[in-house]
Amino acid sequence: MRILVADDSKTMRMIVVRTLRQAGYEGNEILEAEDGAQALAMATADVPDLILSDWNMPNMSGIEFLRALRARGAAVPFCFVTSEGSDEMRTLAEQAGAVGLIAKPFTAEAFSDVLRTVVSA
Amino acid sequence: MSLVDEFEEAREDLEALLVECLATVLHEEAGPAWGAELPPEPTFSARLAIQNPEDGACTGVVVSTSATVGRLFAARMMAVAEPSTDDMLDAICELGNIIGGNVKSLLRNACRLSLPTAEITELPVPRSGGAGVTVQAMVLGQLVELTVGGNAEPEGLCWPGSSSEEILETQQ
Repeated sequence: MRILVADDSKTMRMIVVRTLRQAGYEGNEILEAEDGAQALAMATADVPDLILSDWNMPNMSGIEFLRALRARGAAVPFCFVTSEGSDEMRTLAEQAGAVGLIAKPFTAEAFSDVLRTVVSA
Repeated sequence: MSLVDEFEEAREDLEALLVECLATVLHEEAGPAWGAELPPEPTFSARLAIQNPEDGACTGVVVSTSATVGRLFAARMMAVAEPSTDDMLDAICELGNIIGGNVKSLLRNACRLSLPTAEITELPVPRSGGAGVTVQAMVLGQLVELTVGGNAEPEGLCWPGSSSEEILETQQ
């Protein structure tokens, strides 16, 4: 499985990749993007099986990235990993076509709970 | 309700938020602290603002800790033995982002959160004493402070997104 991780923080990208392994998602090809614009380009070129994206990023935010992706007809499962986990943000994410929102700080169990409904480990 | 009253009313929630974020991020026990002082050594701070889109007013969020903790955070969060200064700045930025996002959800849900910026100062910066509260937590025997204050200056901060029709166009 090819997983695209988009976050402007190198630290958080490393934590997300590590947590994916802890949640049982090992041996996958990981692509990393530093903002929404780069992620959109990579998602178009390399077609991932799953996208995990931060919300607040420079150049193009996560929600802008998701909307651009869906506008192009891409149906790849998209899950936010963000520090803003309010009900309003979850609703906004769902309306834009996200399959889930994992709030920071998170645990490996939170990853499992959200991702098991979308992809198999 | 004045800003001071609002932040004071949220003090316990902010303390709990800081403790929970530190414990979850570091996988260590954390607890509240009161009246402690950051040690006289270089201090790492992450700064963000939460802006009300209607009137532009900004609530400031500052997370500060010592260089010792900055190094510890980076080593733990990035799983490296000897983090560089850039690693430490990135780690404190992300810690600020996590805490700032949770502060926004707690106090300013309809507003927008800036991107974090981090800096190192030679010594702890004295608190301004303005309209805001500072809460403290201990993790691994070290102090971390969270200050939430009103009327923050957004200068020097960047905002997420911007949507760039240009970006979309150039990539299509």
